[in-house]
Amino acid sequence: MHRLEVEFNRVLSLFFLEIIALCSVASLLKINVESAVVLFIFDFLFVSLAFQLTKALSVKLGLLALGNVVGLFCNFVFYSLNVVGVEYFGEVFGVFYTISYPLLNMMWMVTFWSLSLAILPKTQNMKTKVKS
Amino acid sequence: MLEVLEALFLILTAVMIIYIIRHYIFTFAVLRRTKSKTTLDSAPSPKLEHSSIVTVLIPARDEEKVIGRLLQRMTELTYPKEKMQVIVINDASSDETGNIAEEYSRRYSFIEVLHRDKIIGGKGKSAAMNSGFQHSRGEIIICFDADYYPQKDILEKLVREFADRQVGAVQGRVVVLNEPENIVTRLVALERIGGYRVDQEARGNLGLIAQFGGTVGGFRRDVLESLGGWDESILAEDTDLTFRVYLAGYKLRYVGDAECYEEAVDNLKAYWTQRYRWALGHMDCCYRHSVNVFLSKNLRTKEKLDGLLLLNVYFMPLIALLAFVVGVFLIFFGSSFIVGVLWFSVPVSFYSFVGNFAPFFEVSIGAHLDGRTRTQWLVPLLIFTFLFNVPICMKAFLNLLASKILRRDHNVWVKTRHLGNGNRYIGN
Repeated sequence: MHRLEVEFNRVLSLFFLEIIALCSVASLLKINVESAVVLFIFDFLFVSLAFQLTKALSVKLGLLALGNVVGLFCNFVFYSLNVVGVEYFGEVFGVFYTISYPLLNMMWMVTFWSLSLAILPKTQNMKTKVKS
Repeated sequence: MLEVLEALFLILTAVMIIYIIRHYIFTFAVLRRTKSKTTLDSAPSPKLEHSSIVTVLIPARDEEKVIGRLLQRMTELTYPKEKMQVIVINDASSDETGNIAEEYSRRYSFIEVLHRDKIIGGKGKSAAMNSGFQHSRGEIIICFDADYYPQKDILEKLVREFADRQVGAVQGRVVVLNEPENIVTRLVALERIGGYRVDQEARGNLGLIAQFGGTVGGFRRDVLESLGGWDESILAEDTDLTFRVYLAGYKLRYVGDAECYEEAVDNLKAYWTQRYRWALGHMDCCYRHSVNVFLSKNLRTKEKLDGLLLLNVYFMPLIALLAFVVGVFLIFFGSSFIVGVLWFSVPVSFYSFVGNFAPFFEVSIGAHLDGRTRTQWLVPLLIFTFLFNVPICMKAFLNLLASKILRRDHNVWVKTRHLGNGNRYIGN
């Protein structure tokens, strides 16, 4: 049973890794370089910091993969909006898009970051009550 | 013109990136330390001897709602009472603070009250502390603000660090008591988590500049005497003392398990007043100590670097705002590739203006390590602290600039009012 579980986790982890790689490639080839950079920043922070917290690797990889999917989706929406906006309003819209693009990306990144850490188990050192 | 602006933008974003990297290192270091805690915990902690006489200084001005709570707690501390001296400095209060303190003084011999009338009193916390210090007889001087509520064994935890002769001062951890009250107290709680659970902890672990927060901390008496006590001409007397301790060749030790609970400001007006005082005082400290830190022979290179970054931290909202304005201008009028790349650092900074600069990932990790899941959900709201801190720091900067040019005193101490709302969160 234990061996089966280990194998299952391994397959699951590989699946999540594949999703992460696909998201990076898709953002680079189908959207733009900026979106790939955003996903890279998110992946770097998540792997170097959140991966040090206690929880099974497959769960952390799952969260990372989900974050990549959310990031890819958001960037796709932003990019589509930009294409349509430039078509209708001209190049000025493109300038506004360039200015607001990192800000919009931070919104999903910070939100996903805080929510995903809330899913990982709490540590023992809880500070929710006054200690005597 | 565009080249000049581009160079300015590069400098501003470089500064922001240095701060972001610094706090990334802090977060990483705390996580590494947490992972290897079992090994580190096996190291022997300094032996505690109850031989030191400890004086606890409590400055209080119009604190009738909270002073009784703290004095009651003083009677419950586990430190031997015959080795304790508690001095309440009733600083020209116009309410019942003095009477409440006198009542405790009558019942407990180790509690004393020092009354400062309206002629000599009311000149700020530093003046009150110096007055209390003159009447103290302890070898160790510990300070608590009147709205604080310490753990029972906090004195043991703080005092034992003085076993190391290099340690001139200690600082305990501040935890927000009235966190569930409203959105302001919750955001202040996040700020405290970033500041203490990650920032102070990391600085302590990495041998950098741990900071005295003005309360829940203390000094060796001879060190404080050699420094001349609290500087009454500065608003951020805590940051000033931090740097004077380090410049004198001593260390400040952060004690994360010495927790004390504070009643945080619970409305935006009080937040503004408190943070404005902090920003102005901190900027003044930067003006006074930057050169000394840079030239000091008692500080190592990494301490100098961290000290300079710490001293300049309240300029960061202004730098971020300036970078934003210059960046927008450059994007409008045709920017180079490098501007486009560095433009990404601006929004990351926007999510970093809680306390002494704490990026979203640092606050989140701190909240996680504390087990505060629900508070963590509020991290996206940290953007509002940026919007609030920009005008605060701008006002402080302009006031400091004007006072230095016109040689006018800017140090008007505006006290934070405490309503005692934290009492309901203390269970027995």
